[in-house]
Amino acid sequence: MLNALRTFLLAAVAAATLAVPAFAQAPIKIGVLTPLSPPGDAAAGQFIVRGAKMAAEEINGQGGVLGGRKIELIVEDDAGTPEKGAAGLRKLVSQDHVVAVVGQFHSSVTEAVQDLAEQLKVPVFLTQASAKKLTEKHLTYTFRTHVIDPDRVTLWNKWIQQQGFKRVAILAENTDYGVGLVEETKKQFASMNVKAELKTIIFDRAVVDLTPQLLEIKNWKPDLFINVGIGTPMYLISKQAYDVGLIPATPMLISYDAPARPEYWKNLGEKGTYATFIVYYHPTMKLTPRGEAFRTRYLEQFKEQPVYGGLNAYAQVMLLADAINAAKSDKPDDIVKALLGTKFTGWNGTVAFTRGDGPYWQQWTPPMLFLQYTKPEQPFTEAKIVYPPELKTGDLMMAPKR
Amino acid sequence: MDAYLLSQYVLSGLVIGLIYSLMAIGITFIYGIMKMINWSMGEFYMIGSYVQYALLATVLGWDLWYLALPLAMASVFLLGIVVQRFLLRPMYLGGIERRDEYATIITIALMVLFRNLAIVLGGPNQFSPKDYARATSLLTLPISGNRMVALVGTVVLLLLFYVLTRKTWLGRAFRGAAQNRVGIQTAGVDVLRLDMLAFGVGVALAAAAGALLAPAFLVYPENGAISTFKGFEIIVIGGLGSLMGSVVGGLLLGLIEALGSVFLSPGYKDLYGFVLLLGLLAFRPTGLFGERERTV
Repeated sequence: MLNALRTFLLAAVAAATLAVPAFAQAPIKIGVLTPLSPPGDAAAGQFIVRGAKMAAEEINGQGGVLGGRKIELIVEDDAGTPEKGAAGLRKLVSQDHVVAVVGQFHSSVTEAVQDLAEQLKVPVFLTQASAKKLTEKHLTYTFRTHVIDPDRVTLWNKWIQQQGFKRVAILAENTDYGVGLVEETKKQFASMNVKAELKTIIFDRAVVDLTPQLLEIKNWKPDLFINVGIGTPMYLISKQAYDVGLIPATPMLISYDAPARPEYWKNLGEKGTYATFIVYYHPTMKLTPRGEAFRTRYLEQFKEQPVYGGLNAYAQVMLLADAINAAKSDKPDDIVKALLGTKFTGWNGTVAFTRGDGPYWQQWTPPMLFLQYTKPEQPFTEAKIVYPPELKTGDLMMAPKR
Repeated sequence: MDAYLLSQYVLSGLVIGLIYSLMAIGITFIYGIMKMINWSMGEFYMIGSYVQYALLATVLGWDLWYLALPLAMASVFLLGIVVQRFLLRPMYLGGIERRDEYATIITIALMVLFRNLAIVLGGPNQFSPKDYARATSLLTLPISGNRMVALVGTVVLLLLFYVLTRKTWLGRAFRGAAQNRVGIQTAGVDVLRLDMLAFGVGVALAAAAGALLAPAFLVYPENGAISTFKGFEIIVIGGLGSLMGSVVGGLLLGLIEALGSVFLSPGYKDLYGFVLLLGLLAFRPTGLFGERERTV
């Protein structure tokens, strides 16, 4: 009996000894919670996953973090809906034990996710969610490396003033993003003294036929039309605006960088010509060595220019790896401390998370450019930069009459 | 507001309403014969749009959309027959007590299955076939070639459907089954085979709507959801089981949505149809053309 007990104890000690190095080498898990199916902007989510995976490969190829531990990505689909986003985060934290989450795209989803992240005490990174209130809440575990909507609106108001537009119409989806942009534009029209009339229409994101709203806008005779749809609604607005004859006669500004993606021309064909759109990355931009290395690898691997979502997700995972090393720990609270106390190399410059006023809380903002396509099937790399003036490569071109 | 603009709103509402009615006819036809609601109707719409896109993008080329349309309808007709034969037919055999619940569970499961299959096979992104025709105008309304094709296609299909149900032996059998499933069997009609055909024809109509609207409303895994939603509203407004009710209900829904979204608020576009529906249910519970059940 005594011998059996001794053998059992020895075996247990041996097993525990063997398990220690195995535990030390356990990977550090980072969640990627992003839209990968409708009604979310699934194309955006795919680029975000692509960028995050490239970062994990690069980190692991260089020996991992904390002296040899690999980064393991756990990808979860939020489908662009708050309930799936919250369920996804809960699963990532409680089941997969991730130390941080990147990839948030839709502001409405982020609002649900960030509140839960605060309860679960895990840092969440906003990759392309831009609603002002997301960082205005001053939450401990929310970090953003993307533009915020007031800055987006300030820029398009300056452009409106520079171009001398007198009648501006906005058609916006009824999400936090769409409604937030409309409210901010109204506010800034007054504060910036923009000498133009403004017409705004908010539509239900689930609606597919926007003909009556577009006829109403066309009848109002705007000289600028701003398309605030995300994913499928952006395409539906563009197609139907063309069909009722609103565009391209009236210049259209698309509120984000979807036209930079390869599927833009496949979905819109010639109807996409003369659209102006906002981007945060352009191939002519000078990047940091980290961003440049990513761009080179991306071009080799995918034979196309990287899209901003991929670039930003890549930089966020790299930044998290740096923070884990700086913290010398994989505990979320230590990572948060490191994020706040360290400067990091991003894709376009140095990233520092300070706790500023209003929405500038744990926030880093990339540059914004207005690009215009002037020919059907024009490659993204050849689109002209029409704003801001210091980076301009061409003037806004009006479409010839149909 | 000037009369010209008002006429544009009215026309745009009527056009979309008529196109939606194609979907509603499919739902009400299946209900009329089989006495079951097909909750996965929108997914057959979605499959129709995918088949149309796939045929045009890979085999036929963009110009032959009019050939792809009957092929898309035929493929979905066959799929409908398979679904009916293996998943729905068993509930009509052996005297299953809770047939409605069975049909609800099966068709909701199909809805989830088909949507996820679409994501697995085609990816989550949206696709768009090239335009079917050049932009034109309908009276005062500037209208895309795609929508004009969808409108004409809907009218043609409605006429064909009318001829099928009113002028052929099969149509008489369908109408007989809709009136009395036991009675039609005494006339020697195989009602189970009729169910299979009815289900196939109903889902093929939904596929036609999906294929016709593919360039206007895009092709993606959830594109059928809104059509199912509208289809059910229309059949309740028009009267469950009434083909004429589906057409009139569709036109009415399109009109009220177009005018409500312009004169009230576009943010509540889907609400206006429901207000109409609730009002109708309060004063005319059978819908516009529905009939009260006659029992002895």
